[in-house]
Amino acid sequence: MLILEFLVKRILQGFLIIGITSFIIFTLLRVVPGDPVRLIVGGMAPPDVVEKVATKMGLRDPIVVQYGRYMVGLLQGDLGQSYLRPRSGMVAAGGQYVDPTKSDMAPVTDLILERLPVTLQLGGVALVFALLISFPVGIAGGLRQNGWPNTLAFAVQSLFVSIPNFWLAIVLILFLSVKLNWLPALGYQGFSYVILPALVLSVEIAPFIIRTLTTSFGEVMQAPFIDEARVRGLSRRRIVYAHALRNAAVPLVNLLGIQLSTLIGGVLVIEYIFDYPGLGNLTVVSVVGRDFPVIQGIAITTSAVFVFINIIVDLVAYLIDPRVEL
Amino acid sequence: MDLSLILDVDNLTVGPRAHGTPPILDGISFRLHTSEIFGIYAESGGGKTVLSRALADWLPDSLTYRAGRVLFAGHDTLKKTSTSTFKVGRDIAYIGSKPQSSLDPTMPVGVQIAEKLHSVRPEWNPKECRERVIQLLGEVRIPSPAERYYEYPSKFSGGMMQRAMIVDAICAEPAVLIADNITQPLDVTIAAQIVALLHDLCLRHKMATIYLTSSLPILGQFGKRTAVLHHGRFVEQQPFEQLIAAPQTEAARSAIDSVPRIWSAGEGPPVRRHAEGEAPLMRVAGVHRTYRQRKRGTFNTYRNIQAVRGVTLDIMPRENFGIVGESGCGKSTLTRMLAWLETPDTGTLVLGGTDLAKLSPRELIRKRNEFQLLLQDPYTALPPRTTVGRMIEESLRIRGGIPRKEMRTKVTAAMAEVGLPAKLYDALPNALSTGERQRISIARALILDPKLLILDETLSAIDQREQSKLIDLFSRLQAKNDLTYVFISHDLAMVRKVCTRIAVMYLGEMVEIADNRDLFFDPQHPYTKALLSAAPTLEEKPFNAADFLLEGEPPSPIDIPPGCSFASRCPKAFGRCRVETPRLREHQPGRFAACHLLDSAEAETAAA
Ligand SMILES: Nc1ncnc2c1ncn2[C@@H]1O[C@H](COP(=O)(O)OP(=O)(O)O)[C@@H](O)[C@H]1O
Ligand code: SF4
Ligand SMILES: [Mg+2]
Repeated sequence: MLILEFLVKRILQGFLIIGITSFIIFTLLRVVPGDPVRLIVGGMAPPDVVEKVATKMGLRDPIVVQYGRYMVGLLQGDLGQSYLRPRSGMVAAGGQYVDPTKSDMAPVTDLILERLPVTLQLGGVALVFALLISFPVGIAGGLRQNGWPNTLAFAVQSLFVSIPNFWLAIVLILFLSVKLNWLPALGYQGFSYVILPALVLSVEIAPFIIRTLTTSFGEVMQAPFIDEARVRGLSRRRIVYAHALRNAAVPLVNLLGIQLSTLIGGVLVIEYIFDYPGLGNLTVVSVVGRDFPVIQGIAITTSAVFVFINIIVDLVAYLIDPRVEL
Repeated sequence: MDLSLILDVDNLTVGPRAHGTPPILDGISFRLHTSEIFGIYAESGGGKTVLSRALADWLPDSLTYRAGRVLFAGHDTLKKTSTSTFKVGRDIAYIGSKPQSSLDPTMPVGVQIAEKLHSVRPEWNPKECRERVIQLLGEVRIPSPAERYYEYPSKFSGGMMQRAMIVDAICAEPAVLIADNITQPLDVTIAAQIVALLHDLCLRHKMATIYLTSSLPILGQFGKRTAVLHHGRFVEQQPFEQLIAAPQTEAARSAIDSVPRIWSAGEGPPVRRHAEGEAPLMRVAGVHRTYRQRKRGTFNTYRNIQAVRGVTLDIMPRENFGIVGESGCGKSTLTRMLAWLETPDTGTLVLGGTDLAKLSPRELIRKRNEFQLLLQDPYTALPPRTTVGRMIEESLRIRGGIPRKEMRTKVTAAMAEVGLPAKLYDALPNALSTGERQRISIARALILDPKLLILDETLSAIDQREQSKLIDLFSRLQAKNDLTYVFISHDLAMVRKVCTRIAVMYLGEMVEIADNRDLFFDPQHPYTKALLSAAPTLEEKPFNAADFLLEGEPPSPIDIPPGCSFASRCPKAFGRCRVETPRLREHQPGRFAACHLLDSAEAETAAA
């Protein structure tokens, strides 16, 4: 019951957060200089055409009215239409005139729904890689605070932090893809295309996990209940895996919730490097092209993902350690 | 071979790994038979924990066995052979002094005990283990054991947790049980229950028990073979009665001398200097304090924690007023209200004729000089590199209005008054002893010319010699400056030594207020009697202590039962107690108590 109450409360809170974020984004995008209509109709269009299109699109109404209209659409799952992308998926060339008020422009919702799973897949696989790297290194480092495993953990951490992601991406592409021809590098045509970008992303996440794990594991191993577990007759394996790991996991789970923003930032760059057709890539292209409806849609989606993952994180933390306040 | 011989310890010597360091245990030898109870006394830091760990093959990494053997039923436990059948946790079990941190905080208590049981006795299936644990939880008198089985350690009080740890230790039917200072963190009435319980279990389950403690009187409960561990050696071994009556060594004698005395204390309580027509210095009237705490996982359901429930008392000038009670009874909340750091929800505090609630903030600041709370440890609140002089000065600065030049003279005067040498003015407090630190606290308060000093557990944590010096200091300051003290403490012996009048607190209420002698020699309220019965002393008590052993724990201040708040544990409770709350009444001149029994006694005398 506690969990149910928690969920209801947090989901309501989440809606509020998403609402506020979307309003801020909405306002900001309308306040920044540069008339999107100019972009849509092309540089050569006469001013009266610009005005006509703008009025027709409702871009001359007060912001609040525009926002209200937008929210009504949002509730129906309609995030508007891209200014730049026609339905075919081809980016409209700047000079050529495409009427954005017509329905031949791609709906933002479709654009996002098409790419979100691809990005989530990248994030998920990267996280799994990062955990696979971090757990053995971090646990060993935490268990032997004064031995070589701890030094190793520290070395891995420092190494990973100091590798620039674009450099690593290029090196990996060169070796694994160009030289050895093991993995595809650019674009996306199936699961194997996730592996390289996920590897690069995981190198970016792993140091945080390793560090949290070594410190929290080291701390837990000093706790009196771990010491006493031995005289109570528990085996070393049980002590480490059933008790120490469980206790050390709480800070880790919380860290993952917090590190999420870093992860999202990383996705942006890496998708662009690998020309990986996910949300990050779409963001970069849309920002460059001032495709406001798409940027807005992505911002809202991101904040929803953020809220959702944080609810999961808190729930998992509670399930591991029931003392955590829900 | 002696069949019932279970543990044979021979010349056990343990020390730090580093060479050239003196050993911590030095040639310990003893034998233990099935069902035997062996009491070991050592002062704190005397090696109890190291001995326990050495016996259970559980030395910390920094320590090592230097010589000796530990034979369990004929097997050498320290030799690691593949044929050894000895298993720590099954054959020898350990209970320590930190029950609250002995289990994994993220898993239910019962589940962890069953986990242990199944690990050391894999032949018992998980269901059997669970049932056995629940049954034992009931046996150690944990209420509703089947539900408690699934509760987390943080939901257990210290006493409950120690019971659970007893179950954890005995569930696998160990032949030897090591109890290392198990009552140390517990309140006296709970400690008395635990000792009685453990004694009973040892006899019924036929466990040989090694009971190590730094409280000599507790060993009297077992009455058997008692050893004194001093500087890593057994300096003396005798049956308990003989040890007390005729100690052979200096170590034993000083152990006996350091046991606090309540009834046979030589010096009587100090007498208050009376004056004609005095008014109370502080009047506390009907003070309540309830904390609201949001219920977990709810939006706006709160529960009320009633910490202090209607306290009324008068503190007379130049009095040493004591407030005693066990942990959680509301002492600290009351202290904070007396110091006006927290304001009561209802009720008034009148100091020297002024109602504190009616003062403007500015007047209040001035008034605050008159009543000072002596902090237990002000050093944590100040920057680490503050000098002693500066620390004392600080309290003057906060009040303001004193020229710089005069400050130094005032500070040195205050230092002299509390017996701190002037050369300490520029010293840093980290090198000072506890006694000296206490003196700094006193000087900090004294420099403001207070009338009333409130001392929260001030004299409890320091050794006897330093304690008596401070007591002398307090009475000197009292005579000189007309001071009044309020001592808040759980330490009955200390209160007996210094307080003229004492209030006993239970679950947020005063259950008895009386003069020192009356309270200790003729207590009226059943709770006072229970508290005194449980006091760990070696003396004859002026009433039959066995009549007042308490059952159970105090109810939580969240759901206080109707009627007398003590009824759930009172050995004398009767029908009326559960419906009607007894009021604190003056049954005899100067002696207040809140108990229906006294009303009936009074009615009888009146009728006769
Ligand atoms: N791990 C350790 N390493 C070195 N010295 C220790 C260690 N544990 C305890 N000691 C020392 O051994 C002595 C006995 O300590 P301990 O057994 O904890 O006393 P007690 O349990 O009677 O309070 C103390 O002087 C303490 O400083
Ligand atoms: S009123 Fe009843 S329950 Fe309360 S202390 Fe007196 S006899 Fe015990
Ligand atoms: Mg100890």
